[in-house]
Amino acid sequence: MSLRKIIIITLLGVPAGALLLFGPRRTADVPCDRTIVRYWESWAGVEGRAVQELIDEFNRTVGAQRGVFVQYVSLGSMIHERLLAACAGGDPPDVAGLFAFALPQYAELGALEPLDADLPALGIRPTEFVPALWQIGVYHGRTYGLPSTPFTIAMYYNRRLFRAAGLDPDRPPTTFDELRAFSERLTRTAPDGSLQTVGFLPSPKVLNWWHWCWPFFFGDPLDEQGRYRIDSAAGVRALEWVASYRDRFGAERTQVFEQGLGIVVEGAQNPFMAERVAIIHQGPWMANFIRRYTPDLDYAVAAFPSARPDGSRPVLVCSDLLVLPRGARHPREARLFLGWLMQQPVLERLCKAHGKISPFRTPGPDFFRDHPNPFIQIHHELAASPAAFGYPKMPTWPQIEHDVLTAVNNVWFGLGTPRDEARAAQQRIDAAVAAYERLARMRCLAPVGAADAKASTRAGS
Amino acid sequence: MSRSGAQRNQWLLGLAWTSPWWLGFVLLTAGPLALSLYLSFCDYPLLARPVYIGAENYAALVQDPVWWKALGNTVRFAVISIPLCSAFALGIAWLLQQPNRGGAIFQALIFLPTIVPLIATAMIWLWMLNGELGLLNQVLRWFGLRGPNWLGDPVWAMRALVLIALWGVGNTVVIYLAGLNEVPRELYEAAHLDGAGAATTFLRITLPILTPVILFNAVIAIIATFQYFVIPFSIWRATDRGGPGRSAYFYTSYLYDNAFLYLKMGYASAMAWVQLLIILALTGLVFLVGRRVGYRP
Repeated sequence: MSLRKIIIITLLGVPAGALLLFGPRRTADVPCDRTIVRYWESWAGVEGRAVQELIDEFNRTVGAQRGVFVQYVSLGSMIHERLLAACAGGDPPDVAGLFAFALPQYAELGALEPLDADLPALGIRPTEFVPALWQIGVYHGRTYGLPSTPFTIAMYYNRRLFRAAGLDPDRPPTTFDELRAFSERLTRTAPDGSLQTVGFLPSPKVLNWWHWCWPFFFGDPLDEQGRYRIDSAAGVRALEWVASYRDRFGAERTQVFEQGLGIVVEGAQNPFMAERVAIIHQGPWMANFIRRYTPDLDYAVAAFPSARPDGSRPVLVCSDLLVLPRGARHPREARLFLGWLMQQPVLERLCKAHGKISPFRTPGPDFFRDHPNPFIQIHHELAASPAAFGYPKMPTWPQIEHDVLTAVNNVWFGLGTPRDEARAAQQRIDAAVAAYERLARMRCLAPVGAADAKASTRAGS
Repeated sequence: MSRSGAQRNQWLLGLAWTSPWWLGFVLLTAGPLALSLYLSFCDYPLLARPVYIGAENYAALVQDPVWWKALGNTVRFAVISIPLCSAFALGIAWLLQQPNRGGAIFQALIFLPTIVPLIATAMIWLWMLNGELGLLNQVLRWFGLRGPNWLGDPVWAMRALVLIALWGVGNTVVIYLAGLNEVPRELYEAAHLDGAGAATTFLRITLPILTPVILFNAVIAIIATFQYFVIPFSIWRATDRGGPGRSAYFYTSYLYDNAFLYLKMGYASAMAWVQLLIILALTGLVFLVGRRVGYRP
């Protein structure tokens, strides 16, 4: 055999052999004598492992007794598209995790199984849940989704930077005026004028993922029918507030600063963990990231400030949802798994591992004791706030959210005035809603009741 | 067996042997194409059955400001990037054709970006063009220049995408190189004997002979730019969803959003058919121009 042949065989053979010997293996043996329940979720990494541990426990115990085996499939951020394709193709998973904003879309089109009739048999009592969290899965007065790992969004602030700026780290801002004043004191510039550290920026790029929620901090952006209006007084004031930060810190400077922050959320480059932004509007998972990447970060959590005239502190309350897609192969077995997972001790283990709050009114005795987020009690109390709000329950919400993002961005970049951008975005929103409602009438879909939608969005009231 | 029977058998045998292709074509291309044409006349939210609504989706398109914005961005990108990339690729191909040492290495280096997955390309450029930390602005800083906020500025976002497109001209270069190698040597020798300079030779000999290749590349580029999606989608999905001020919101991005986020598959299908018609019209135009100005041996 020539040397050339030996080299080629070695180059191809060694990796192939290594792959066979040490390559990926099936993570779980699927027993052939059990009914397979397919469970699709977005969670991967630490969160995925936490749910897999629970599933393994179910498969070992209840699943083994009842002949059910749950197979977990992590689809990451693409779960929405995959689930959509699977439902449209008539082969949905038996259980799925759904983003809260997508529930009205799915529910209105009949793609989800209503769960109300099953709740007693599953041992699930809605009264045991925090009302604001339970309402997230309710649409048209029917329960389509169960809160799996809920969260509230709060203010995370850097105590060390507060001290360095001469601020009291035990007294965070409570109003938007204070937020602005604190932010100015916390901001540091380099000799060339560029921003090194900022107190707070309302730009959608600085970990402010819920750009649409700012109007809630100024008043009520919902109309009588529960529809979100960016051209409401609260909406326009929110856009003016965004513009005021841009004007104060300089459009070009802030944009260059944002670019330098990178795009990392989970990692040491996260602008809050890198101490480049002192105050952020974020969720309880931050504690998991901080513990892992910057364990020495001196931070604290409080309710986000407010600009409401009555001084109330609005809180975004949200949750991942567990749903049963209509047309799945094993609805009975899926319900068995759902009933097991929704037991308080089981579900709270999942919430804890994800660093999130408990969906139950009275969390278990150990829930707060060794929770990975030292401020979880604050997050939990915020869920009961009378000013709590959730995603507006509109089937056209993804399009509306996109239009609002464009308006916020355009104001941030100085491409339009707050009033003009609000008007332009609202025109697009009105057109989208009108078109949807006309087609829904044609399809004989029941329009969402005004009171129902509004009460659901203002979940805490 | 009669003659007609033998012919029929031959015909059936031919069909059987070619079935992998035509079955695939019917099931995976022609069928979905026909279905999408039907869906473009329907309201189809994916999770419920399609309902026929006539030409409503097409009528709604022309009244949709975001559709116009996305179409405008795509046309603008095509108008800037196609001629620029074409000229750039032709220039590189011409340089590569000159006798030089290490030509094969340069060819490989220029072709290399085209085999990098588009997602990876997007991630690389996301950091290269970072306004504060990006390599490009660092290099500009060495020369005392202040680089722009490439991806965060509505004006510079489109320019950044053109720059990324220039990086990926490897395929076009290879086609031009093949075309250049096909130009008969004797024409250059005759031109040289007649005293023609390099510029005259290029304009009077190379360029006319290359017109079929240029037109072919133009058609491919028109199709590619009107379907431009992965790079802007990957760069801005997490933050702006279409670049600052929707300045990098392309036709296919809006189509995708309508289909999979807004659950308006009927509307998205109408968009796709209009996109196809635009591409067909532009391709026809290129062929028409090619027939008038193209070189015929």
